[in-house]
Amino acid sequence: MLARIIADYNEAVFDTDRERALQIVRDAERQGISPEDLVFKVVLPAMDAMVNALSDQFSVNLAQHFMTAQISDAVTAEMIPKFHQAPEVAGRVVIGTAYGDMHTLGKRMVIGCLRARMVEVTDLGVNVAAERFVEEALAHDARVIAISALMLHTATGELGCRKVRRLLHERGLEDRIKIMVGGAPFRFHDGLYRIVGADAWAPDAISAGKAMAELLQEVKK
Amino acid sequence: MITGMDRLTAAIRGEEADRIPIFCNLLDQGAAELGVSLQDYYARGESVAEGQLRMLRKYGHDNVWSLFYVGKEAELLGCQRILYSAEGPPNVEDFVIHSWDDIARLEVPADIPSHPAFTEVGKCLQILKNEVGGKNPICAYITSTMTLPALLMGMEKWMELLFAGPPGPCEELLRKCHEFFVKEVAAYRQGGADVLIYSNPFGSADTVPMKYFLQRSLPWIEKDIQAVGAGGMVYYCGMARLNSVLSAVIERTGIGACYLSPLDDLAVGKRLIGDRGLTCGVINDIQLISWTRQEIRQEVKRILDVGMPGGRFLFGTGVMPLMIPEASIRAMLEAAFEYGSQGGKGA
Repeated sequence: MLARIIADYNEAVFDTDRERALQIVRDAERQGISPEDLVFKVVLPAMDAMVNALSDQFSVNLAQHFMTAQISDAVTAEMIPKFHQAPEVAGRVVIGTAYGDMHTLGKRMVIGCLRARMVEVTDLGVNVAAERFVEEALAHDARVIAISALMLHTATGELGCRKVRRLLHERGLEDRIKIMVGGAPFRFHDGLYRIVGADAWAPDAISAGKAMAELLQEVKK
Repeated sequence: MITGMDRLTAAIRGEEADRIPIFCNLLDQGAAELGVSLQDYYARGESVAEGQLRMLRKYGHDNVWSLFYVGKEAELLGCQRILYSAEGPPNVEDFVIHSWDDIARLEVPADIPSHPAFTEVGKCLQILKNEVGGKNPICAYITSTMTLPALLMGMEKWMELLFAGPPGPCEELLRKCHEFFVKEVAAYRQGGADVLIYSNPFGSADTVPMKYFLQRSLPWIEKDIQAVGAGGMVYYCGMARLNSVLSAVIERTGIGACYLSPLDDLAVGKRLIGDRGLTCGVINDIQLISWTRQEIRQEVKRILDVGMPGGRFLFGTGVMPLMIPEASIRAMLEAAFEYGSQGGKGA
Protein backbone atom coordinates (compact mmCIF):
# COMPACT_ATOMS: atom_id res chain seq x y z
CA MET A 1 0.00 0.00 0.00
CA LEU A 2 2.83 2.39 0.89
CA ALA A 3 4.32 2.00 -2.57
CA ARG A 4 1.01 3.13 -4.15
CA ILE A 5 0.81 6.11 -1.78
CA ILE A 6 4.38 7.13 -2.59
CA ALA A 7 3.69 6.90 -6.35
CA ASP A 8 0.45 8.91 -6.09
CA TYR A 9 2.04 11.53 -3.85
CA ASN A 10 5.06 11.92 -6.16
CA GLU A 11 2.76 12.36 -9.14
CA ALA A 12 0.72 15.04 -7.36
CA VAL A 13 3.88 16.89 -6.33
CA PHE A 14 5.33 16.80 -9.86
CA ASP A 15 1.96 18.04 -11.15
CA THR A 16 2.18 20.96 -8.67
CA ASP A 17 -1.21 19.88 -7.27
CA ARG A 18 -1.07 20.80 -3.60
CA GLU A 19 -4.65 19.84 -2.75
CA ARG A 20 -4.33 16.37 -4.26
CA ALA A 21 -1.00 15.77 -2.48
CA LEU A 22 -2.47 16.79 0.87
CA GLN A 23 -5.53 14.64 0.26
CA ILE A 24 -3.34 11.60 -0.49
CA VAL A 25 -1.49 12.10 2.79
CA ARG A 26 -4.72 12.52 4.80
CA ASP A 27 -6.31 9.47 3.19
CA ALA A 28 -3.17 7.44 3.91
CA GLU A 29 -3.28 8.48 7.55
CA ARG A 30 -6.92 7.38 7.78
CA GLN A 31 -5.89 4.03 6.30
CA GLY A 32 -3.46 3.54 9.17
CA ILE A 33 -0.12 4.77 7.83
CA SER A 34 1.75 6.38 10.73
CA PRO A 35 2.58 10.09 10.67
CA GLU A 36 6.26 9.14 10.99
CA ASP A 37 6.07 6.95 7.88
CA LEU A 38 4.24 9.66 5.98
CA VAL A 39 7.04 12.15 6.64
CA PHE A 40 10.06 9.85 6.43
CA LYS A 41 8.89 7.37 3.80
CA VAL A 42 6.71 9.57 1.59
CA VAL A 43 7.56 13.28 1.89
CA LEU A 44 11.35 13.09 2.23
CA PRO A 45 11.83 10.46 -0.51
CA ALA A 46 9.71 12.65 -2.82
CA MET A 47 12.14 15.51 -2.26
CA ASP A 48 15.08 13.19 -2.85
CA ALA A 49 13.41 11.95 -6.03
CA MET A 50 13.31 15.54 -7.23
CA VAL A 51 16.99 16.02 -6.44
CA ASN A 52 17.74 12.86 -8.40
CA ALA A 53 15.56 14.04 -11.27
CA LEU A 54 17.60 17.24 -11.34
CA SER A 55 20.91 15.42 -11.41
CA ASP A 56 19.58 13.09 -14.09
CA GLN A 57 18.86 16.15 -16.28
CA PHE A 58 15.10 15.69 -16.17
CA SER A 59 13.18 18.86 -16.52
CA VAL A 60 12.20 20.07 -13.06
CA ASN A 61 11.02 23.64 -12.87
CA LEU A 62 10.61 26.40 -10.37
CA ALA A 63 6.89 25.78 -9.89
CA GLN A 64 7.53 22.15 -9.01
CA HIS A 65 10.21 23.20 -6.52
CA PHE A 66 7.89 25.75 -5.00
CA MET A 67 4.97 23.38 -4.63
CA THR A 68 7.18 20.55 -3.35
CA ALA A 69 8.57 22.81 -0.67
CA GLN A 70 5.13 24.10 0.25
CA ILE A 71 3.52 20.67 0.32
CA SER A 72 6.41 19.13 2.28
CA ASP A 73 6.24 21.96 4.82
CA ALA A 74 2.46 21.65 5.17
CA VAL A 75 2.48 17.87 5.56
CA THR A 76 5.33 17.98 8.07
CA ALA A 77 3.62 20.69 10.13
CA GLU A 78 0.42 18.62 10.17
CA MET A 79 2.10 15.31 11.02
CA ILE A 80 4.77 16.24 13.61
CA PRO A 81 2.27 16.94 16.43
CA LYS A 82 0.94 13.42 15.83
CA PHE A 83 4.35 11.69 16.17
CA HIS A 84 4.62 9.21 19.03
CA GLN A 85 7.64 11.09 20.29
CA ALA A 86 9.06 14.42 19.27
CA PRO A 87 11.48 14.01 16.35
CA GLU A 88 15.15 14.68 16.87
CA VAL A 89 16.09 18.15 15.63
CA ALA A 90 18.57 17.77 12.76
CA GLY A 91 20.08 21.17 13.47
CA ARG A 92 19.30 24.86 13.73
CA VAL A 93 19.54 27.41 10.95
CA VAL A 94 18.84 31.12 10.59
CA ILE A 95 17.82 32.27 7.13
CA GLY A 96 17.17 35.59 5.42
CA THR A 97 17.70 37.46 2.20
CA ALA A 98 20.95 39.34 1.74
CA TYR A 99 21.22 42.99 2.67
CA GLY A 100 19.42 45.03 0.00
CA ASP A 101 17.52 42.05 -1.39
CA MET A 102 13.72 41.94 -1.20
CA HIS A 103 13.12 38.65 -3.03
CA THR A 104 11.50 36.03 -0.81
CA LEU A 105 10.69 33.08 -3.05
CA GLY A 106 13.98 31.18 -2.71
CA LYS A 107 14.05 31.63 1.04
CA ARG A 108 10.47 30.44 1.40
CA MET A 109 11.19 27.30 -0.62
CA VAL A 110 14.33 26.47 1.33
CA ILE A 111 12.48 26.91 4.64
CA GLY A 112 9.84 24.41 3.53
CA CYS A 113 12.44 21.85 2.55
CA LEU A 114 14.46 22.31 5.74
CA ARG A 115 11.49 21.93 8.05
CA ALA A 116 10.56 18.69 6.32
CA ARG A 117 14.07 17.49 7.16
CA MET A 118 13.53 18.29 10.84
CA VAL A 119 15.77 21.35 10.75
CA GLU A 120 14.70 24.14 13.09
CA VAL A 121 14.60 27.30 11.00
CA THR A 122 14.40 30.91 12.15
CA ASP A 123 13.26 33.20 9.36
CA LEU A 124 14.88 36.63 9.65
CA GLY A 125 12.93 38.07 6.72
CA VAL A 126 14.28 40.27 3.94
CA ASN A 127 17.07 42.84 3.62
CA VAL A 128 18.92 41.41 6.64
CA ALA A 129 22.02 43.19 7.94
CA ALA A 130 25.14 41.07 8.44
CA GLU A 131 25.29 41.91 12.15
CA ARG A 132 21.75 40.62 12.62
CA PHE A 133 22.52 37.34 10.86
CA VAL A 134 25.35 36.72 13.34
CA GLU A 135 23.48 37.90 16.44
CA GLU A 136 20.42 35.80 15.63
CA ALA A 137 22.55 32.75 14.85
CA LEU A 138 24.09 33.04 18.30
CA ALA A 139 20.75 33.71 19.97
CA HIS A 140 19.20 30.60 18.39
CA ASP A 141 22.29 28.43 18.67
CA ALA A 142 22.19 28.03 14.89
CA ARG A 143 25.06 26.24 13.19
CA VAL A 144 24.34 27.61 9.73
CA ILE A 145 23.51 31.07 8.44
CA ALA A 146 21.62 30.73 5.16
CA ILE A 147 21.64 33.76 2.86
CA SER A 148 19.43 34.05 -0.21
CA ALA A 149 20.19 36.60 -2.95
CA LEU A 150 18.52 37.04 -6.31
CA MET A 151 20.71 39.79 -7.67
CA LEU A 152 24.43 39.81 -8.29
CA HIS A 153 25.05 42.97 -6.30
CA THR A 154 23.24 41.65 -3.23
CA ALA A 155 24.98 38.29 -3.58
CA THR A 156 28.42 39.88 -3.79
CA GLY A 157 27.96 43.19 -1.95
CA GLU A 158 30.33 44.19 0.83
CA LEU A 159 27.43 44.44 3.30
CA GLY A 160 26.06 40.96 2.51
CA CYS A 161 27.66 37.54 2.80
CA ARG A 162 31.19 38.97 2.71
CA LYS A 163 30.48 40.97 5.85
CA VAL A 164 28.91 37.97 7.59
CA ARG A 165 32.13 36.08 6.88
CA ARG A 166 34.19 38.99 8.25
CA LEU A 167 32.13 39.14 11.44
CA LEU A 168 32.37 35.38 12.01
CA HIS A 169 36.13 35.59 11.52
CA GLU A 170 36.58 38.58 13.84
CA ARG A 171 34.56 36.89 16.55
CA GLY A 172 36.25 33.51 16.24
CA LEU A 173 33.00 31.81 15.22
CA GLU A 174 34.02 30.24 11.92
CA ASP A 175 34.31 26.71 13.32
CA ARG A 176 30.96 26.94 15.03
CA ILE A 177 28.82 28.65 12.38
CA LYS A 178 28.90 27.94 8.66
CA ILE A 179 27.47 30.02 5.82
CA MET A 180 25.35 28.67 2.99
CA VAL A 181 24.18 30.79 0.05
CA GLY A 182 21.73 30.37 -2.79
CA GLY A 183 19.98 32.32 -5.52
CA ALA A 184 20.15 32.98 -9.24
CA PRO A 185 23.65 34.54 -9.46
CA PHE A 186 25.21 31.44 -7.95
CA ARG A 187 23.62 29.30 -10.66
CA PHE A 188 25.36 31.35 -13.33
CA HIS A 189 28.79 31.26 -11.68
CA ASP A 190 30.01 28.02 -10.11
CA GLY A 191 32.73 29.52 -7.94
CA LEU A 192 30.81 32.57 -6.78
CA TYR A 193 29.97 31.14 -3.34
CA ARG A 194 33.67 30.95 -2.56
CA ILE A 195 34.29 34.48 -3.82
CA VAL A 196 31.73 35.85 -1.35
CA GLY A 197 33.07 33.77 1.53
CA ALA A 198 30.38 31.11 1.90
CA ASP A 199 31.08 27.50 2.89
CA ALA A 200 28.45 25.93 0.65
CA TRP A 201 25.76 26.67 -1.90
CA ALA A 202 22.95 24.87 -3.65
CA PRO A 203 21.45 25.46 -7.10
CA ASP A 204 17.83 25.09 -5.96
CA ALA A 205 15.72 24.78 -2.84
CA ILE A 206 15.27 21.02 -2.91
CA SER A 207 19.01 20.43 -3.27
CA ALA A 208 19.55 23.06 -0.57
CA GLY A 209 17.61 20.93 1.91
CA LYS A 210 19.91 17.98 1.29
CA ALA A 211 23.10 20.08 1.19
CA MET A 212 22.08 21.80 4.43
CA ALA A 213 21.52 18.47 6.18
CA GLU A 214 25.05 17.47 5.14
CA LEU A 215 26.53 20.79 6.27
CA LEU A 216 24.82 20.48 9.65
CA GLN A 217 26.27 17.00 10.04
CA GLU A 218 29.70 18.41 9.26
CA VAL A 219 29.42 21.17 11.87
CA LYS A 220 28.34 18.64 14.49
CA LYS A 221 31.57 16.65 14.07
CA MET B 1 28.46 54.34 -42.97
CA ILE B 2 26.73 51.22 -41.72
CA THR B 3 24.65 51.83 -38.61
CA GLY B 4 23.51 49.56 -35.83
CA MET B 5 20.03 49.63 -37.32
CA ASP B 6 21.44 48.55 -40.71
CA ARG B 7 23.14 45.59 -39.04
CA LEU B 8 19.98 44.57 -37.23
CA THR B 9 17.84 44.91 -40.35
CA ALA B 10 20.35 42.90 -42.39
CA ALA B 11 20.44 40.13 -39.80
CA ILE B 12 16.64 39.95 -39.66
CA ARG B 13 16.52 39.64 -43.45
CA GLY B 14 19.21 36.99 -43.48
CA GLU B 15 21.67 39.31 -45.23
CA GLU B 16 25.20 40.26 -44.30
CA ALA B 17 26.45 43.63 -43.06
CA ASP B 18 29.98 44.60 -41.99
CA ARG B 19 29.41 42.51 -38.90
CA ILE B 20 26.60 40.90 -36.95
CA PRO B 21 24.50 43.15 -34.67
CA ILE B 22 25.80 43.33 -31.11
CA PHE B 23 23.51 44.25 -28.24
CA CYS B 24 25.33 45.17 -25.03
CA ASN B 25 22.86 45.98 -22.28
CA LEU B 26 24.54 48.58 -20.10
CA LEU B 27 22.09 50.30 -17.76
CA ASP B 28 23.51 51.22 -14.34
CA GLN B 29 26.91 51.88 -15.94
CA GLY B 30 25.53 55.18 -17.27
CA ALA B 31 25.40 56.61 -13.74
CA ALA B 32 29.07 55.89 -13.12
CA GLU B 33 29.89 57.45 -16.47
CA LEU B 34 28.08 60.64 -15.47
CA GLY B 35 29.54 60.53 -11.95
CA VAL B 36 26.17 60.55 -10.19
CA SER B 37 24.41 58.16 -7.83
CA LEU B 38 22.01 55.62 -9.29
CA GLN B 39 19.12 57.34 -7.52
CA ASP B 40 19.99 60.73 -9.04
CA TYR B 41 20.65 59.13 -12.41
CA TYR B 42 17.27 57.44 -12.63
CA ALA B 43 15.45 60.55 -11.38
CA ARG B 44 16.05 62.33 -14.71
CA GLY B 45 15.28 61.11 -18.20
CA GLU B 46 17.96 63.44 -19.56
CA SER B 47 20.59 61.65 -17.43
CA VAL B 48 19.54 58.19 -18.57
CA ALA B 49 19.54 59.25 -22.22
CA GLU B 50 22.94 60.91 -21.84
CA GLY B 51 24.26 57.78 -20.08
CA GLN B 52 23.04 55.58 -22.92
CA LEU B 53 24.56 57.82 -25.58
CA ARG B 54 27.89 57.92 -23.77
CA MET B 55 27.87 54.11 -23.46
CA LEU B 56 27.26 53.87 -27.19
CA ARG B 57 30.15 56.23 -28.01
CA LYS B 58 32.46 54.55 -25.52
CA TYR B 59 31.93 50.93 -26.53
CA GLY B 60 30.57 51.04 -30.07
CA HIS B 61 27.88 48.38 -29.72
CA ASP B 62 24.60 48.77 -31.59
CA ASN B 63 21.69 49.37 -29.20
CA VAL B 64 20.49 51.87 -26.60
CA TRP B 65 17.95 51.37 -23.83
CA SER B 66 14.96 53.33 -22.64
CA LEU B 67 14.69 51.04 -19.59
CA PHE B 68 15.42 52.70 -16.27
CA TYR B 69 14.84 49.68 -14.00
CA VAL B 70 12.29 46.90 -14.04
CA GLY B 71 10.41 48.29 -11.02
CA LYS B 72 9.34 51.24 -13.20
CA GLU B 73 6.38 49.15 -14.36
CA ALA B 74 5.32 48.63 -10.74
CA GLU B 75 5.53 52.41 -10.23
CA LEU B 76 3.17 52.92 -13.16
CA LEU B 77 0.74 50.64 -11.34
CA GLY B 78 1.00 52.35 -7.97
CA CYS B 79 4.26 51.26 -6.30
CA GLN B 80 5.44 54.08 -4.04
CA ARG B 81 8.71 52.74 -2.68
CA ILE B 82 11.81 51.77 -4.60
CA LEU B 83 14.93 50.57 -2.80
CA TYR B 84 18.13 52.06 -4.23
CA SER B 85 21.57 50.62 -3.86
CA ALA B 86 24.99 52.01 -4.78
CA GLU B 87 26.00 48.66 -6.21
CA GLY B 88 23.17 47.54 -8.47
CA PRO B 89 19.72 48.09 -9.91
CA PRO B 90 16.85 49.54 -7.87
CA ASN B 91 14.30 47.11 -6.46
CA VAL B 92 10.60 47.26 -5.65
CA GLU B 93 10.57 47.78 -1.88
CA ASP B 94 6.85 47.73 -1.24
CA PHE B 95 4.48 45.69 -3.35
CA VAL B 96 1.30 47.16 -4.79
CA ILE B 97 -0.67 44.01 -3.96
CA HIS B 98 -0.39 42.79 -0.37
CA SER B 99 -3.51 40.64 -0.31
CA TRP B 100 -5.77 39.18 -2.95
CA ASP B 101 -8.34 41.84 -2.06
CA ASP B 102 -5.95 44.48 -3.42
CA ILE B 103 -6.40 43.04 -6.91
CA ALA B 104 -9.88 44.51 -7.18
CA ARG B 105 -8.44 47.92 -6.24
CA LEU B 106 -5.58 47.78 -8.76
CA GLU B 107 -5.99 50.53 -11.33
CA VAL B 108 -4.49 50.45 -14.80
CA PRO B 109 -3.52 53.99 -15.84
CA ALA B 110 -5.85 55.42 -18.44
CA ASP B 111 -2.97 56.99 -20.35
CA ILE B 112 0.59 55.85 -19.77
CA PRO B 113 2.48 58.65 -21.62
CA SER B 114 0.88 61.25 -19.34
CA HIS B 115 1.43 59.26 -16.14
CA PRO B 116 3.89 60.98 -13.75
CA ALA B 117 5.93 57.76 -13.42
CA PHE B 118 6.43 57.76 -17.21
CA THR B 119 7.42 61.43 -17.57
CA GLU B 120 11.17 60.87 -17.31
CA VAL B 121 11.01 57.75 -19.49
CA GLY B 122 9.22 59.85 -22.10
CA LYS B 123 11.97 62.50 -21.95
CA CYS B 124 14.64 59.81 -22.28
CA LEU B 125 12.90 58.29 -25.30
CA GLN B 126 12.55 61.69 -26.95
CA ILE B 127 16.26 62.43 -26.61
CA LEU B 128 17.27 58.99 -27.83
CA LYS B 129 14.90 59.30 -30.78
CA ASN B 130 16.33 62.70 -31.69
CA GLU B 131 19.95 61.63 -31.31
CA VAL B 132 20.08 58.08 -32.65
CA GLY B 133 16.57 57.25 -33.89
CA GLY B 134 16.74 55.19 -37.07
CA LYS B 135 20.48 54.71 -36.59
CA ASN B 136 20.63 52.60 -33.46
CA PRO B 137 17.85 50.30 -32.24
CA ILE B 138 16.12 51.84 -29.22
CA CYS B 139 15.14 49.04 -26.84
CA ALA B 140 12.26 48.94 -24.42
CA TYR B 141 11.58 46.33 -21.75
CA ILE B 142 7.98 45.16 -21.45
CA THR B 143 6.95 42.55 -18.93
CA SER B 144 4.40 40.04 -20.18
CA THR B 145 0.91 39.67 -18.76
CA MET B 146 1.77 36.37 -17.13
CA THR B 147 4.90 37.71 -15.41
CA LEU B 148 3.87 41.25 -14.43
CA PRO B 149 2.01 40.11 -11.28
CA ALA B 150 5.35 38.99 -9.81
CA LEU B 151 6.43 42.66 -9.83
CA LEU B 152 3.20 43.72 -8.16
CA MET B 153 2.94 41.10 -5.41
CA GLY B 154 6.28 39.27 -5.36
CA MET B 155 7.15 35.97 -6.96
CA GLU B 156 6.13 33.98 -3.90
CA LYS B 157 2.58 35.32 -3.63
CA TRP B 158 2.11 35.17 -7.41
CA MET B 159 3.15 31.51 -7.51
CA GLU B 160 0.76 30.80 -4.68
CA LEU B 161 -2.13 32.55 -6.41
CA LEU B 162 -1.35 31.02 -9.78
CA PHE B 163 -1.00 27.43 -8.63
CA ALA B 164 -3.15 27.18 -5.53
CA GLY B 165 -5.24 30.33 -5.23
CA PRO B 166 -8.82 31.14 -6.16
CA PRO B 167 -9.29 31.48 -9.94
CA GLY B 168 -11.36 34.68 -9.73
CA PRO B 169 -8.69 37.06 -8.41
CA CYS B 170 -6.05 35.34 -10.54
CA GLU B 171 -8.01 35.91 -13.76
CA GLU B 172 -8.88 39.47 -12.78
CA LEU B 173 -5.21 40.26 -12.16
CA LEU B 174 -4.17 38.71 -15.48
CA ARG B 175 -6.85 40.67 -17.29
CA LYS B 176 -5.64 43.94 -15.74
CA CYS B 177 -2.00 43.11 -16.46
CA HIS B 178 -2.89 42.41 -20.08
CA GLU B 179 -4.68 45.75 -20.35
CA PHE B 180 -1.59 47.44 -18.93
CA PHE B 181 0.70 45.49 -21.25
CA VAL B 182 -1.17 46.65 -24.35
CA LYS B 183 -1.09 50.29 -23.23
CA GLU B 184 2.57 50.09 -22.26
CA VAL B 185 3.62 48.70 -25.64
CA ALA B 186 1.70 51.50 -27.35
CA ALA B 187 3.38 54.11 -25.12
CA TYR B 188 6.89 52.87 -25.88
CA ARG B 189 6.22 52.55 -29.61
CA GLN B 190 4.76 56.03 -29.67
CA GLY B 191 7.86 57.27 -27.83
CA GLY B 192 10.17 55.82 -30.47
CA ALA B 193 11.19 52.38 -29.23
CA ASP B 194 11.94 49.96 -32.09
CA VAL B 195 12.88 46.79 -30.23
CA LEU B 196 10.50 45.58 -27.54
CA ILE B 197 11.92 42.95 -25.24
CA TYR B 198 8.92 40.86 -24.23
CA SER B 199 10.07 39.55 -20.86
CA ASN B 200 8.31 36.42 -19.75
CA PRO B 201 9.98 34.05 -17.28
CA PHE B 202 6.57 32.41 -16.88
CA GLY B 203 6.84 31.50 -20.54
CA SER B 204 9.78 29.19 -19.86
CA ALA B 205 9.61 25.52 -18.93
CA ASP B 206 12.28 26.34 -16.34
CA THR B 207 9.60 28.20 -14.41
CA VAL B 208 6.41 26.25 -15.09
CA PRO B 209 5.81 22.65 -16.20
CA MET B 210 5.49 22.22 -19.98
CA LYS B 211 1.89 21.07 -19.63
CA TYR B 212 1.10 24.25 -17.71
CA PHE B 213 2.98 26.34 -20.27
CA LEU B 214 0.82 24.94 -23.06
CA GLN B 215 -2.43 25.27 -21.17
CA ARG B 216 -1.95 28.62 -19.44
CA SER B 217 1.19 30.55 -20.45
CA LEU B 218 0.98 30.11 -24.20
CA PRO B 219 -2.62 31.37 -24.55
CA TRP B 220 -1.64 34.55 -22.66
CA ILE B 221 1.44 34.97 -24.87
CA GLU B 222 -0.77 34.63 -27.95
CA LYS B 223 -3.25 37.12 -26.54
CA ASP B 224 -0.47 39.62 -25.72
CA ILE B 225 1.16 39.44 -29.13
CA GLN B 226 -2.11 39.40 -31.08
CA ALA B 227 -3.15 42.56 -29.26
CA VAL B 228 -0.01 44.55 -30.09
CA GLY B 229 1.38 42.83 -33.20
CA ALA B 230 4.67 40.96 -33.42
CA GLY B 231 6.60 43.87 -35.00
CA GLY B 232 9.80 44.55 -33.08
CA MET B 233 8.92 42.02 -30.35
CA VAL B 234 11.70 39.84 -28.97
CA TYR B 235 10.84 36.77 -26.92
CA TYR B 236 12.88 36.64 -23.72
CA CYS B 237 12.45 34.66 -20.52
CA GLY B 238 14.63 36.63 -18.12
CA MET B 239 17.67 34.35 -18.43
CA ALA B 240 15.52 31.22 -18.02
CA ARG B 241 15.85 28.75 -20.89
CA LEU B 242 13.48 28.89 -23.84
CA ASN B 243 14.59 26.24 -26.31
CA SER B 244 11.79 23.88 -25.30
CA VAL B 245 9.09 26.49 -25.99
CA LEU B 246 10.61 28.19 -29.05
CA SER B 247 8.68 26.35 -31.74
CA ALA B 248 5.32 26.83 -30.02
CA VAL B 249 5.94 30.54 -29.46
CA ILE B 250 7.08 31.20 -33.03
CA GLU B 251 4.28 29.18 -34.61
CA ARG B 252 1.51 30.60 -32.47
CA THR B 253 2.59 34.26 -32.30
CA GLY B 254 4.74 35.04 -35.32
CA ILE B 255 7.40 36.62 -33.08
CA GLY B 256 10.48 37.06 -35.24
CA ALA B 257 13.30 37.20 -32.69
CA CYS B 258 14.21 35.07 -29.68
CA TYR B 259 16.72 36.08 -27.00
CA LEU B 260 18.07 32.80 -25.66
CA SER B 261 19.35 32.07 -22.20
CA PRO B 262 23.08 31.51 -21.73
CA LEU B 263 21.95 28.16 -20.29
CA ASP B 264 20.22 27.18 -23.54
CA ASP B 265 22.08 25.00 -26.01
CA LEU B 266 22.69 27.63 -28.69
CA ALA B 267 23.08 25.10 -31.51
CA VAL B 268 19.69 23.63 -30.68
CA GLY B 269 18.09 27.07 -30.39
CA LYS B 270 19.53 28.20 -33.72
CA ARG B 271 18.28 25.04 -35.43
CA LEU B 272 14.80 25.41 -33.92
CA ILE B 273 14.48 29.04 -34.97
CA GLY B 274 16.11 28.42 -38.35
CA ASP B 275 14.94 30.81 -41.03
CA ARG B 276 11.83 31.70 -39.09
CA GLY B 277 13.52 34.49 -37.18
CA LEU B 278 16.52 36.09 -35.56
CA THR B 279 18.48 34.01 -33.05
CA CYS B 280 20.03 36.05 -30.26
CA GLY B 281 22.94 34.18 -28.66
CA VAL B 282 23.62 35.46 -25.17
CA ILE B 283 26.81 35.39 -23.14
CA ASN B 284 26.72 34.47 -19.43
CA ASP B 285 27.56 37.94 -18.19
CA ILE B 286 27.71 36.92 -14.52
CA GLN B 287 30.90 35.07 -15.44
CA LEU B 288 32.32 38.28 -16.87
CA ILE B 289 33.02 39.46 -13.32
CA SER B 290 35.86 36.97 -13.02
CA TRP B 291 36.76 35.61 -16.46
CA THR B 292 40.17 36.56 -17.85
CA ARG B 293 40.50 38.36 -21.17
CA GLN B 294 41.42 35.07 -22.79
CA GLU B 295 38.42 33.26 -21.32
CA ILE B 296 36.11 36.03 -22.48
CA ARG B 297 37.48 35.89 -26.02
CA GLN B 298 37.15 32.11 -26.12
CA GLU B 299 33.55 32.23 -24.99
CA VAL B 300 32.59 34.96 -27.47
CA LYS B 301 34.24 32.96 -30.25
CA ARG B 302 32.43 29.80 -29.19
CA ILE B 303 29.06 31.57 -29.27
CA LEU B 304 29.71 33.16 -32.67
CA ASP B 305 31.09 29.94 -34.17
CA VAL B 306 27.83 28.22 -33.26
CA GLY B 307 25.47 31.08 -34.02
CA MET B 308 26.76 32.80 -37.15
CA PRO B 309 26.61 30.03 -39.78
CA GLY B 310 23.40 30.49 -41.77
CA GLY B 311 23.06 34.15 -40.72
CA ARG B 312 20.09 35.67 -38.88
CA PHE B 313 22.17 35.96 -35.72
CA LEU B 314 22.69 38.61 -33.05
CA PHE B 315 25.19 38.53 -30.20
CA GLY B 316 23.84 39.84 -26.92
CA THR B 317 24.30 40.14 -23.18
CA GLY B 318 21.94 39.96 -20.23
CA VAL B 319 21.55 43.08 -18.13
CA MET B 320 25.26 43.64 -17.53
CA PRO B 321 25.99 43.82 -13.78
CA LEU B 322 27.70 46.99 -12.60
CA MET B 323 30.61 45.08 -11.11
CA ILE B 324 31.89 43.79 -14.47
CA PRO B 325 35.26 45.49 -15.01
CA GLU B 326 35.38 47.95 -17.89
CA ALA B 327 38.31 46.01 -19.37
CA SER B 328 36.13 42.90 -19.51
CA ILE B 329 33.34 44.75 -21.31
CA ARG B 330 35.90 45.96 -23.83
CA ALA B 331 37.43 42.50 -24.22
CA MET B 332 34.00 40.99 -24.86
CA LEU B 333 33.06 43.62 -27.43
CA GLU B 334 36.42 43.58 -29.19
CA ALA B 335 36.09 39.83 -29.59
CA ALA B 336 32.50 40.18 -30.82
CA PHE B 337 33.53 42.85 -33.37
CA GLU B 338 36.44 40.71 -34.53
CA TYR B 339 34.81 37.28 -34.72
CA GLY B 340 31.45 38.76 -35.76
CA SER B 341 32.90 40.40 -38.85
CA GLN B 342 31.04 39.54 -42.07
CA GLY B 343 32.43 41.80 -44.74
CA GLY B 344 29.05 42.61 -46.25
CA LYS B 345 27.85 46.09 -47.12
CA GLY B 346 24.72 46.05 -45.05
CA ALA B 347 21.07 46.57 -45.74
